[in-house]
Amino acid sequence: MTHFIQVLIDAVAIGSLYALVALAIGLVFGVMRLINFAQGDYITIGAYSLVVPSAAATPALMFGALPWPAMILCVILTVVVLALVTERLAFRPLRNSDLTSLLISSFAVSYFLQSLILMVHGGRPKTVSIGDALSRAVEIFGVRLPGVQLLTMVVALTLLIVLVLFLKKTPIGIQLRAAAEDFQMARLLGVPANRVIAIAFAISGILGGTISLLVIIQTGTLDIRMGLMPTIFAFFATVIGGMGSLPGAVVGGYIMGILSVLLQAYLPAELRPFRDAGVFSIVILILLVRPQGIFAKTAKERV
Amino acid sequence: MLILKRMFPVIALVVPLIIVVFVIDQFGTGNMQRVSTEALVRLVFAVGLYMFVGNSGILSFGHMTFCAVAAYASAWQTCCSMMKPTIMSGLPAFVRDNTFPLIPSALTSVGLAGAVALVSGLVLMRLSFFSASISTLALLVIMNVVFANWTTVTMGNSTIVGLPVYVTIWGALAATVVVIVLAYLFQNSRWGLMLRATREEEVAAQASGVSLYWSRFIAFTLSGFVAGLAGVLFAHFMGTVSLSNFFLNHTFIIVAMLVIGGMHSLAGVVVGVALISAVTEVLRQAEAGYSIGGLSFAVPPGTQELVLAVTMLLILIFRKDGIMGGKEFRWPWPARSDRLAIEERKVASVQRSS
Amino acid sequence: MSESRKEKLEAIDVHVHFGGVKALNGVNLSLQSGDILGLIGPNGAGKTTMVNVLSGFQMPHPGTVKLNGENVSNLSARKMARAGIGRSFQSARLFPKLTVLENLVIPGLGIGLSRRAATSQARDILDWIGYREDPDRQCDSLPYSDERRISIARALALRPSFALLDEPASGMNEQECDRLMQIITRIPQEFGCGVVLIEHNMHVIMGVCHRIHVLDGGKSLAEGTPDEVKKDPKVLRAYLGEQASRPEAVI
Repeated sequence: MTHFIQVLIDAVAIGSLYALVALAIGLVFGVMRLINFAQGDYITIGAYSLVVPSAAATPALMFGALPWPAMILCVILTVVVLALVTERLAFRPLRNSDLTSLLISSFAVSYFLQSLILMVHGGRPKTVSIGDALSRAVEIFGVRLPGVQLLTMVVALTLLIVLVLFLKKTPIGIQLRAAAEDFQMARLLGVPANRVIAIAFAISGILGGTISLLVIIQTGTLDIRMGLMPTIFAFFATVIGGMGSLPGAVVGGYIMGILSVLLQAYLPAELRPFRDAGVFSIVILILLVRPQGIFAKTAKERV
Repeated sequence: MLILKRMFPVIALVVPLIIVVFVIDQFGTGNMQRVSTEALVRLVFAVGLYMFVGNSGILSFGHMTFCAVAAYASAWQTCCSMMKPTIMSGLPAFVRDNTFPLIPSALTSVGLAGAVALVSGLVLMRLSFFSASISTLALLVIMNVVFANWTTVTMGNSTIVGLPVYVTIWGALAATVVVIVLAYLFQNSRWGLMLRATREEEVAAQASGVSLYWSRFIAFTLSGFVAGLAGVLFAHFMGTVSLSNFFLNHTFIIVAMLVIGGMHSLAGVVVGVALISAVTEVLRQAEAGYSIGGLSFAVPPGTQELVLAVTMLLILIFRKDGIMGGKEFRWPWPARSDRLAIEERKVASVQRSS
Repeated sequence: MSESRKEKLEAIDVHVHFGGVKALNGVNLSLQSGDILGLIGPNGAGKTTMVNVLSGFQMPHPGTVKLNGENVSNLSARKMARAGIGRSFQSARLFPKLTVLENLVIPGLGIGLSRRAATSQARDILDWIGYREDPDRQCDSLPYSDERRISIARALALRPSFALLDEPASGMNEQECDRLMQIITRIPQEFGCGVVLIEHNMHVIMGVCHRIHVLDGGKSLAEGTPDEVKKDPKVLRAYLGEQASRPEAVI
């Protein structure tokens, strides 16, 4: 029983993480039809901003050396600025392109950012330790929880709730949600395109920065590809949730997290390393059965 | 004469390639030959990818899967006869305990890659345009996870060394010419034409009786075979097989070449690969450093990649259809007999309607 | 080239709704080989939806489509095309990077003809509609009226039993319209098929149709010969409001 609760908590923790990235991807997709591969690099760069650029394997801390409120602020700010810059320089000129061109362009931006990190920091993984206190385990109702996981869950759920309130209650949030779900209509109703897209990117930056901190606290390792797999997971989360649907992105994120954790827990030991292959095979099956995703929003092409 | 004219787009690509290879073979340094051979192998893969992506419009991230399958299959058959039972103990006995001759093992490896493409194509081509595209990403990830963890068969992330190196520049060129001809014949065949119609206008294609599923499936499978060929060539050019060569980074480079040259024509593929390979090589040497008159300067490592990414973005923004604009090299002069034929038809139809 | 067997296409009690809107509300229509049936109605009446239903792009829910007595309501667009239902689109939807000739070869390939047969047929149709320009020209550079003629030709290249044409005359001047009317009138005798013609241009409709079916707000309003429909007060009211129930005022 405790094992099951452990699994459940794991699922919620990882699901929340994927839901956050999926929301970032879903927001940007909604306002721009762009699948932002660079989201992974936002996360990576956020993490790397903790240290001073160098080739060392245990580099000196940059933002990581600040007291934690300032550190969080600086990391998130860095990623937000990065997101806005990539929007302005790379994505805005392509705004009305077809889906495939946008996809390729985000691929290019991602490659560019990865190469930049490679150039500045070198390719070897580095260690970084912040938040050591959190590595202690906490015990609740007989279940041992690593502090990090508890933090991840709390932060992720809080952010999700804040975002949902933002999207539902504030005027800007409502505009953003309208634009994300039907961009043309929102524009016709006077919603300013540039501002809304910038806000979407800014939020994806905030989410990216937060996730990078959570990941660093959990793993203590910097790697130029660290944002890649969460982004690919999030990408498929938005697809199975229904592209163009924000609730779908969140639900999709939880589904991916649950699938991942369930496979990890219940696969026989020899098959566990193949967990991700299993997850993605199931994703393909889901797409075959319900290709438009769970909360299908995009209408079929008008004939 | 008619054959010459109809095959001109291919001839216009193959002849310059032959000339360039000849020149490099006769006068080029060993390094230049190596770089050119690698570029040709990359061209084989790019043509394979183009056969699907160019004709269907569906971007595939998954073709490295077929490349990897063939490369590993060839490694299993041809390398490490001493060590195989130890390092790749998971292989079926008749593969593990034997070494196979080069040509048959190349053929079976390409066949295996094609089979994987066929099976995954049966499934993935059922999906709609965009879903199919991103599902190929899932395919790539699945392959990567499986190969990385099935260590008794693939050695996981370690490099398999000791493959016989038999791919020369002329061998790579031969393969390139074969696949270029194949791609050209395909795109002008009934299935290629129908597939291109689906690329342009899915709805109208369906209304014209074209099957999205079958046309995409056939292209996907064929392109899988070609990608497999590239995998075998790559394995026996490098002499090693390493999983890291078959994931997103290398996929991106090829996609960049397709985009820059122009994804919708064979000429675009060849021009893109040739151009980017040349530029990359220049930058690579710049990164290693030049010394001119006692001063040495080098460009920081990583410049290649940055330049590639920026070029690709610029092309997407300013010249979406790439350098060749989706066009082949056409026979430039309409023959006198053609002009005559057009005139004759005009006269005939005027007479008919009066 | 006339068919000796009469084929029949029927829509029986067809309903279609999108979200809250009922696009078609119990429409019945039918036609046979050789008929030219006009489908008219104010904007939003459901004409294109009806054609979508007849060509397999939209499933009636509920309702039935029958081809020669066989229920084809569930067939996909592609299968309908292969069963003999050809259509053109409101926005021509030609394959832009393919040549004019290739655009007409595709349907031939779609119904299973050999490359040579499909090409020969394509050339014949091009001649028949009087297209005398270069057939190897890419379609993205065609003048507008040529585009519309080629899109009709493409529907006909399917050798259909029924050709559904969606506003082929839109945007044409008087001379082009007359040429179009000549083409449409000759379709049944050349291809042996029935034609459904959606149009807003009343001159064209009255000039070529044997019968006209009027839709309004998703419902059938009237059906009859051009003369009958011209004089029908319900029709006039639907188009022009209460004042115009005097027939001379309109068409």
